[in-house]
Amino acid sequence: MADHGIARTTRTRTPAQKQQDLERIQKYRDLESHLRQLVSSSDYSRRKTFDLTTTLLKLNPEYYTVWNVRRRTLTSGLFSRRSDGCSCSRACSSSSRSDTTTTCSDESSCSYSTRTPHSQACRRIGRSGIIADQGSDDTAVAQEPTEREDGEAQKKDLDIITSELSFTFGLLLKSPKCYWIWSYRLWTLDQSILLLPVEKAKKIWQDELGLASKMLSMDRRNFHAWGYRRHVVSQLESRELGGDSLVESEFAYTDRMIRADLSNFSAWHSRSTLIPRLLDERGAGEDERRAFLDAELTQIREALNVGPDDQSLWYYHQFLVDNLVNPVRRPTIVPTLTVDQRVDYLLKEITEIKDLLEDYEDVKLIHEALLEYTLGLCQLEKRKPLEHERQDLISWVKKLKELDPMRMGRWVDLERDYGLTELLPGGGGGLL
Amino acid sequence: MTDAFQQLPEELELATSAHVKYIQSLNTRQDEYDYWLTEHLRLNGVYWGLTALHLLGVPEGLPRSETIDFVLSCQHEDGGFGAAPGHDAHMLSTVSAVQILAMVDAFDELETRGKGKALVGKYIANLQNRQTGTFAGDEWGEEDTRFLYGAFNALSLLGLMDLIDVDKAVDYVAACANFDGGYGVSPGAESHSGQIFTCVASLTIAKRQDLIDKERLGKWLSERQLANGGLNGRPEKKEDVCYSWWVLSSLEMIGKTHWIDRDRLINFILQCQDTEKGGISDRPGDMVDVWHTLFGITGLSLLDYPGLEFVDEVYCLPKSTITRIFGP
Repeated sequence: MADHGIARTTRTRTPAQKQQDLERIQKYRDLESHLRQLVSSSDYSRRKTFDLTTTLLKLNPEYYTVWNVRRRTLTSGLFSRRSDGCSCSRACSSSSRSDTTTTCSDESSCSYSTRTPHSQACRRIGRSGIIADQGSDDTAVAQEPTEREDGEAQKKDLDIITSELSFTFGLLLKSPKCYWIWSYRLWTLDQSILLLPVEKAKKIWQDELGLASKMLSMDRRNFHAWGYRRHVVSQLESRELGGDSLVESEFAYTDRMIRADLSNFSAWHSRSTLIPRLLDERGAGEDERRAFLDAELTQIREALNVGPDDQSLWYYHQFLVDNLVNPVRRPTIVPTLTVDQRVDYLLKEITEIKDLLEDYEDVKLIHEALLEYTLGLCQLEKRKPLEHERQDLISWVKKLKELDPMRMGRWVDLERDYGLTELLPGGGGGLL
Repeated sequence: MTDAFQQLPEELELATSAHVKYIQSLNTRQDEYDYWLTEHLRLNGVYWGLTALHLLGVPEGLPRSETIDFVLSCQHEDGGFGAAPGHDAHMLSTVSAVQILAMVDAFDELETRGKGKALVGKYIANLQNRQTGTFAGDEWGEEDTRFLYGAFNALSLLGLMDLIDVDKAVDYVAACANFDGGYGVSPGAESHSGQIFTCVASLTIAKRQDLIDKERLGKWLSERQLANGGLNGRPEKKEDVCYSWWVLSSLEMIGKTHWIDRDRLINFILQCQDTEKGGISDRPGDMVDVWHTLFGITGLSLLDYPGLEFVDEVYCLPKSTITRIFGP
């Protein structure tokens, strides 16, 4: 219903086209009603039901109810073990760092699921691993499976999971922003944890990083793919998969993405979230932390020299400066620096940015950074701007009004809040 | 402002009657394949269309009793609503159902002919992850701050916020904040205008705006406006009419709508209209749809475009509906 980027055309259909549309509609609706019929007779275990979902989802991957039917055919027949239709494993896995119990609607009541075998309790995935729920409806589970039966069952489940991943991969290539496909794919991955030995499940999740990379190579900013990647990484690092930290390799990944495209704010963002953990896990001391910050500042300044009007770069620079100015707000790169050391850092940044102005006098983001960092400096030293700073601030805000009249309201508010009008010497009033 | 509008060339006026006709025609397109392919959004579509009609000053633009009948026909035994009869229950369609019933003042019909408010509340409350505070979209567990906002929106309209752990949900939203002042789908996720709307509105409903870094968020949001007047959803991305809602409503909630250029945004939205056949698209010259039509109109409403009813920036419903439910 939300069409993006499709050119407006004058729609006049010939009678033949209209007829063609009606035939397509009929075919689609026949498939739908056939599926509903099978589901209302509660036959989730029939291969036909599963195959119909394949056909329908290829025509319409947004059809979430059909994805749900597909899940039910797997959990109540096709998978070797009958499992709980109410799989809230996303809820578990997405918060796997703390012990979690799933939330769960206490009763499924979908029109498609009136008679689905459905145990009430949810699965739990805790630190100790998977505790598969032994619901009351375990008829499909062999009492004491022999080793051979177990092996065959696992192979069957692995085959299904592999085939589901390949099915959704094809659909994602065509619809990379379809929430339902991403969500179903994650559900499939969760099933691997429930149904397969840890090593096999882990392999599947590891391969999934490749899918995330592939999707991000097609669209470097794909919001879904970045979120998916974060989720896959946190799952691989979790105890359920006996995982080790991936923070170094993920940090290296942001390096590669940034090198390919400096404007990729998604990669800069990801970098900013990885750094605190990275330094902690490296056991970095003060010298190493300072060296790290120096290297990050040098890198971003070099980038700004080439693209001083790129917002992505400035946001990351702001993140680094924030580590100096607001060290208590969140985990920081250099927690032990004294105020004087922070001030030195900041003064150096301000000087470097002023140099940028020589080449790019009319780039608004430079003036804005100078203004914010100078105010940050005052905040750090808990003082009002010195007279020469005040004059600078006044000239920068004046320039901002000139270069960026679209955001005039913001510049006027800044002027008012910080008392930056030339007519009021002494900076009377305002926030400082 | 008004003077400026009077000077606009004719094609840059809101084509109100064309938009009304466009929305009213949506349910008559059953001979189009797309009509069937989008059935999973039907209830949401009714909400989008009906809200747009209210804002355009035609609240009776869709027949009231048929609308209520349709909404109630989507309800399941457990209280949740699917997108259309025969579709599974989901948070998104359940919220749309509650919003539609709120708009047409029909909560009483939910009691008499539907499964009742309490069961709707229970359905939504059961989707809360009691450990982390966030919400899933349905029984399959996909979590996203969109669902958390949906729960807050619907439950507060129904007066049932006490069914959920609001403090935990608020903590979760706070954990989604990024250094740039924005919010993502979950802790650690990149800031995105749509998610910012859901998080800021949730904090507003919970009366916890004190947790928002308004200066930094306001800066980030105002930087979403591009030279052509349109707003984008993230840095270095293209403009799109729908962000006229996500960005602007967030700015409005934190009192900084004046940080962007209103006239340019109005112009951009008006350029995205199909003035002849009605409807608004993502960018000028693209295909229109009811979703962009609503968010173009809500954007104009927030910008005080003449002749439009006021929209509530938190609930995305007419102000008059919100006043009727919560009082002035």
